[in-house]
Amino acid sequence: MIPSARSADFSDYKCLVNVFLLGGNDSFNMLVPRSDAEYSIYAASRQNLAIPQEDLLPISPLNSDGALYGFHPMATGLQGLFETGDLAIVSNVGPLLEPTSKDDYLNGNATLPPQLFSHNNQQNQWQSLRGTSALSTGWAGRIADLLAEDLSGQLLPTNISTSGNSRFQSGDTSSPYTVNNSGASSYAAFRRAAEYGPERRAAFEQLLANGYGNIHSRALAEVHTRSLQYADLINEALTLVPELNTPFPETRLGRRLRIVARLLAVKDEFEVNRQIFYITTGGFDTHDTQNQDQPDLLQDLGDCMQAFQTAMAEIGLENQVTSFTQSDFGRTLSSNGDGTDHGWGAHQLVAGGAVMGRQIYGTMPVLEIDGPDDVAGGRIIPTQSADQYAATLATWFGVPESALNEIAPSLPAFNLRNLGFMT
Amino acid sequence: MDLKLAPILTISLLLLTSCGGGGSSGSGTPPPPGGGGGGSTDPVISVAEAHRFLRQASFGPTPTEVANVRDIGFEAWIDQQLLEQASLQLPYMDDLPEPENSREGQTNRLDAWFQNVLNGEDQLRQRVAFALSEIMVISDQGNLFNFPNGMADYYDKLALNAFANYPDLLKTVTLTPAMGRYLSMLGNQKPDKTLNIRPDENYAREVMQLFSIGLVMLNNDGSIILAQNDQPIPTYDQDVIEAFAHVFTGWTFYGSETFNQPSYIFRRPMIAFQEYHDEGEKFLLNDVILPAGQSAEDDLDAALENISNHANVPPFISRQLIQRLVTANPSPDYIERVSEVFIDDGSGTRGNLGAVVKTILLDPEARAEPTSDTSGKLTEPLLRLTSIWRAFNASAENDRYLFAYPEYSFSQAPLRADSVFNFFRPEFAPTGEIGKLGLVSPEMQITNETTSVLVNNYLALAIFLQHSAVAEKEVDTIYIDIEPELAIANQPEDLVDHVAEKLLGGNLSDELRAETLAMMQRWDSLEGKVVEAIYMIAASPEFATLQ
Repeated sequence: MIPSARSADFSDYKCLVNVFLLGGNDSFNMLVPRSDAEYSIYAASRQNLAIPQEDLLPISPLNSDGALYGFHPMATGLQGLFETGDLAIVSNVGPLLEPTSKDDYLNGNATLPPQLFSHNNQQNQWQSLRGTSALSTGWAGRIADLLAEDLSGQLLPTNISTSGNSRFQSGDTSSPYTVNNSGASSYAAFRRAAEYGPERRAAFEQLLANGYGNIHSRALAEVHTRSLQYADLINEALTLVPELNTPFPETRLGRRLRIVARLLAVKDEFEVNRQIFYITTGGFDTHDTQNQDQPDLLQDLGDCMQAFQTAMAEIGLENQVTSFTQSDFGRTLSSNGDGTDHGWGAHQLVAGGAVMGRQIYGTMPVLEIDGPDDVAGGRIIPTQSADQYAATLATWFGVPESALNEIAPSLPAFNLRNLGFMT
Repeated sequence: MDLKLAPILTISLLLLTSCGGGGSSGSGTPPPPGGGGGGSTDPVISVAEAHRFLRQASFGPTPTEVANVRDIGFEAWIDQQLLEQASLQLPYMDDLPEPENSREGQTNRLDAWFQNVLNGEDQLRQRVAFALSEIMVISDQGNLFNFPNGMADYYDKLALNAFANYPDLLKTVTLTPAMGRYLSMLGNQKPDKTLNIRPDENYAREVMQLFSIGLVMLNNDGSIILAQNDQPIPTYDQDVIEAFAHVFTGWTFYGSETFNQPSYIFRRPMIAFQEYHDEGEKFLLNDVILPAGQSAEDDLDAALENISNHANVPPFISRQLIQRLVTANPSPDYIERVSEVFIDDGSGTRGNLGAVVKTILLDPEARAEPTSDTSGKLTEPLLRLTSIWRAFNASAENDRYLFAYPEYSFSQAPLRADSVFNFFRPEFAPTGEIGKLGLVSPEMQITNETTSVLVNNYLALAIFLQHSAVAEKEVDTIYIDIEPELAIANQPEDLVDHVAEKLLGGNLSDELRAETLAMMQRWDSLEGKVVEAIYMIAASPEFATLQ
């Protein structure tokens, strides 16, 4: 039984935006040590994949571990967000079920998330936090379930996706709603302009209401029913703000973030107090030609996250919307000639006015092959868990302390229940 | 079904048809069991049964093929199909004018696919090849975009090997350059400690996780074996992946002068350069050890044999083929029956895919009338389109199927998944009753409030605006042929039953029939009545579901 969430007040507005980097972002080339001692360790590990020291974009964190850091030369957007205080770096996060040292890992003394280094399993772990349990819901889905009564007046589902179905937003009782890059898809054959469109719609709705004698038909019919239920509301609201002034990159991620921004601009039409968006962008599985592919990926990520934050300021929601990254895993420090393999821990990014930005949270790993943080082959063991990361975001969102363990099931294994990067 | 019965059955079917008694709905009604075959115990195949079979085994039933199945029976139909030569993409593409760019080349590749799946005689082979293309995935979304011919060659290999033995298929897949490039085995080299280079693990990981054995130990019935701590038992660990990564070193394009000067010849299997192959000892699955000093070829053969012989392959592959063809949730017994044929086809051969496919389609669970509301599957969105196009004999005046972006409307296109994990996973369960029952519905992974509308909208376009009665036609637009329907359109009840027979094998619910008739009545034109009937049925969740 999930404890009541009624203690919190949900009359204000807050929104989480999950930017999932599909394939496993090589974050150890996204944020690189710049000071000589640390850089030389990094360069020795990364060899021909190392970013030249002089090309790194310097950052000036408010906290310091003595080393200097810089972003990838193409990640100008990330540098900009960080320096203005709108971005925090959460260092070396990854799926963990309990605090796990290198010795624990090598000696088999720790319970580990199943199928480390496998794409879909680790995506599922980040999104579900299920550990070794049979849990089939995602942590955003569970938040929506938990807050269902408090948010019962919302005219749209709490979870909205620009990128189809995900574990992240699957609830036990709540389902996400998927939009396209320009809003809600509407049925061509049901439009008023189509001959007998309204009549056809009525016939279709009658058939959906009659029900079906097969589970697959029923599942599809439920989706059709939701399409019909919400499309007009969404599209009519979007006509109020056809475009924002803030330009977005014309990329898959840019277009997806732009529709989220437009939906946020008209959020009052939906009478919403809490929303969670899910956005994916792909191409991060850089086994090959990493030096050619990664610059574009990181430039796009930075430009898009920066555009989104600018758009939030434009519509006055810069302190109420928090975007954050997740990704399958980090990548190996060693290379296979011109790319990298599946790793474990990785840096994640959190952006927004409610973020205690311009700081690095957690200990930076030693980027040394066979060093203290390398469990084997250049795979860095995380020092902060995906559960702690999610719990920190969920707490800001309004999930009461008493319900946090439902959202992040491995949280009790860790002393720190909040990583401190949110106000 | 015995072939010798075919003439008797044909006669009995003729009799049944002729004494159906003038009723227009008679053709969709299953004939009484037993037939007139004088002592035959084989039941006569109804239109509905033949239709359902062809939705499982082809890219969509046609009136001709339904009659053929009813005539010769399921088994004989399969046996004929097993002997059909493969329709290939590459020869077709070679005959087209040189494409101006990669996009045009990829569109030509899809054209070749549509030509074969819509009009090829080798329906079952093409259907299995498509299923295999969703298990052993390559994609033009990424580093193969500029090589449509290389991708067509890969698809042709799947078609050629659709009924071959699994070990041969696995070796062919492994050595086809398009796969080599997609999962970066091509160009993968032995380790170099001084440069912190180790072999690429991409192919090593995915060939085991996705193409053969999966992540956890399985029983022959597909159920997961649990250890004493109630946790699944992993099939391999990181060390095994690294061992296979070392196996898969030294390979590049045929015709390359040196390892680092790739020839980009996609049409020949990859070849090995021994000096780039790791010669160390390798510890594989099931405690198999490859000795040091073996050639790249010997290592590869032994390693693929090691994978093919793993106990997981039969249930892992069988379950997915059943899911692609028949049902999302096969019973454990069904999986086990197929696995047993995979293990031994009766002649001692392991992995005989032709025998496996035949077993899948003839199994009682595939053939008996579904009794549970959990049976069957959602038809893949693209196969809903091919079903309609085959039922209504769609074609363009220029004899091409130029459809550049099917994935925009259908969330899938041949060899165009976002990643090696395909468009959907075999274990996907949507929120709601399916997940709560512990069941799955893989195709629901690409079904959401956006995609369900986009599918529907394409069907609206393809039916309302692209049919044979349209006055002004474009040379490269694909039109369905509605002339047979126009001929009976002045009798709406006949028309709706006729369309229902084409699309649903006659299994039209009373509700859908009534709403369809009501919508048809709004139209004055015969043409309007016809396309309305087709659309109403094609857009329904009933049509989207293969029971």
